[in-house]
Amino acid sequence: MKILSLIAKEIRHRWINFLLAVLAVTIAVAMFVSFCTAERASERETARIMLTMGYNLHILPENTDIDRFLLTGLSDGTMPEQYLEKLASRKGFSYNHLLASLQRKMKLRGVEIVLTGLAPELCPPGHKKPPMIYQIEHGTAYVGYRAAEKLGIEEGDLLELEDKKLKVVNCLKEQGGIADIRIQCHLHDAQQILHLPDRISQIQAVDCLCFAPTDDPVSILRSQIKSVLPDAQVLQSRSMATARTRQRRMIRDIFAVVMPGIAIACGIWIAVLTMMNVRDREHEIGILRAVGYGAGRVLLLFLGRAVVVGLLGAMLGFLFGTALAQYFGPGVFKITAPTILSPQLAWLLWSLLLAPVFSAIASFIPTVLAATMDPAAILTEE
Amino acid sequence: MIVIENITKIYQTRRGSVTALDGVRLEINDGEFVAVQGPSGSGKTTLLMTIAAMLRPSRGHVIIDGHKLYQMSVGKRARFRAREIGFVFQMFHLIPYLTVIDNVLLAAGVTADKNPTARAMELLNVLGLRDRAQHKPSALSAGEKQRTAIARALLNNPTLLLADEPTGNLDPANADVVLNHLSAFHKHGGTVILATHSRRAEQLVDRTVHLQNGVIGNSAGCSPSN
Ligand SMILES: Nc1ncnc2c1ncn2[C@@H]1O[C@H](COP(=O)(O)OP(=O)(O)OP(=O)(O)O)[C@@H](O)[C@H]1O
Ligand SMILES: [Mg+2]
Repeated sequence: MKILSLIAKEIRHRWINFLLAVLAVTIAVAMFVSFCTAERASERETARIMLTMGYNLHILPENTDIDRFLLTGLSDGTMPEQYLEKLASRKGFSYNHLLASLQRKMKLRGVEIVLTGLAPELCPPGHKKPPMIYQIEHGTAYVGYRAAEKLGIEEGDLLELEDKKLKVVNCLKEQGGIADIRIQCHLHDAQQILHLPDRISQIQAVDCLCFAPTDDPVSILRSQIKSVLPDAQVLQSRSMATARTRQRRMIRDIFAVVMPGIAIACGIWIAVLTMMNVRDREHEIGILRAVGYGAGRVLLLFLGRAVVVGLLGAMLGFLFGTALAQYFGPGVFKITAPTILSPQLAWLLWSLLLAPVFSAIASFIPTVLAATMDPAAILTEE
Repeated sequence: MIVIENITKIYQTRRGSVTALDGVRLEINDGEFVAVQGPSGSGKTTLLMTIAAMLRPSRGHVIIDGHKLYQMSVGKRARFRAREIGFVFQMFHLIPYLTVIDNVLLAAGVTADKNPTARAMELLNVLGLRDRAQHKPSALSAGEKQRTAIARALLNNPTLLLADEPTGNLDPANADVVLNHLSAFHKHGGTVILATHSRRAEQLVDRTVHLQNGVIGNSAGCSPSN
């Protein structure tokens, strides 16, 4: 009897067992393929981010003294509030958040504070990100830790600033920075208090993107901003950007550890299943050997089955894994998703090669052990 | 001619070793029909497996037509077994997912028989299984299973047929059928070694060998006929 027809008949007989084995390989390969696809996407996304993204910029009015800004963190000049809208709607300028504010140092009952008016944060159209900083309602104020302490302010108090009354809705915890002496309110309230209608003192742009491949993305971002806001100055704040980059690098490192782990786990899984199949069929091996099958023919029979399982599982797993990556990937990797998450034919070839080899190797040792035993030793065992 | 030269078989188990055969010497002529009798555990199965090239003895040789079985390589021994020896087990040992005809043809791939399917059908015909060819073993009676096993054992036209209590799981009528088939093989010049408790077998065989605790006792019955 031909080996192939014997394999086919065994599969037809133990089809549940066969399907389970194929399923196992399918899941293993699917996991592997989807993780690989995702990892690739993540890596490219990270590379792209590191090359061009994560630049946090301060956009300052023309008349701001940069040295003083660097020293105090406060911009003394002002620019029109409309700049925010202009920047937000510029085509090609990509960012995650835009935060406009009007900030001024002032004295309140003899205590130095920084009055900070915040405009509602802007996100690019279509993005729904939670604001990085709280949104402050009209007529309310958030008071920094030291300011609250020195002025004896508590939540619920009414704070009088010039001719404006603000309700304190929040006394903030200690930050150890300039935030501790801030009193934050809505931009328009601050404009009223400071008699600077329609003025802002700075715009913070978080996670600006530059899609041109260049070593100097900041200068491109600068010129993009200058094209809409010709009289603005642009500063890069690096520390925040590197922190974000570090975070992304960490994700990549996790992938680097997780991927080999998954590969090994899948390999062991396939191996265990194949070994179980061989053990289940030891009696059969005894019969085949008794009627005169050599060890080679027995081996061929079992390796043949392992290869069939591996090939089928690899194909299904590839389809499934790719579908998985297609389905969930875009949510995770927004920027590179359309290009990178397309099916990776290389992974199909790898799965088609590795899955059968894995299952063949796994079945090799137990089959050889069973096939070289004296048939009687197997057949008399019950 | 089969020469069993001073065979000892010791099974090694976790609970110590069991001596199943202890210095067995036996010569069986071509075309002889020999019964091996003895109480349970006396070593009948062990002896037959050893003669069938399926179980390496701890000591001693099995020589068939001048070939020392256990000096051959594993592969060569397997081919020798396929060509020269048919074996019928008490437990049938059919492969459950193969039909009767496929079980019979299992041994076909090993030798270069020109038309094994025709030969298999002819055997099934003789054994009264023609209508059962496409059935799975699970659909067969015990007697039919054993006749399938006999067909498988005879497919490659062996010179030696070994049967280990082939009637042990059969009713008397089916047992007779099986014994008659063994007898027919013998009448066509084949050598048969049969392990059995059956009284009826004694009337068919040339000689009966008695095993007791792995040792051959007095050979009762007839002397070698040829
Ligand atoms: N695989 C094995 N491992 C250990 N001991 C074994 C093994 N097979 C057989 N034996 C022991 O060897 C001895 C002979 O066994 P064997 O099966 O040859 O006897 P038998 O004459 O065929 O018995 P029965 O009539 O019950 O079939 C027994 O004591 C048995 O327990
Ligand atoms: Mg026995």
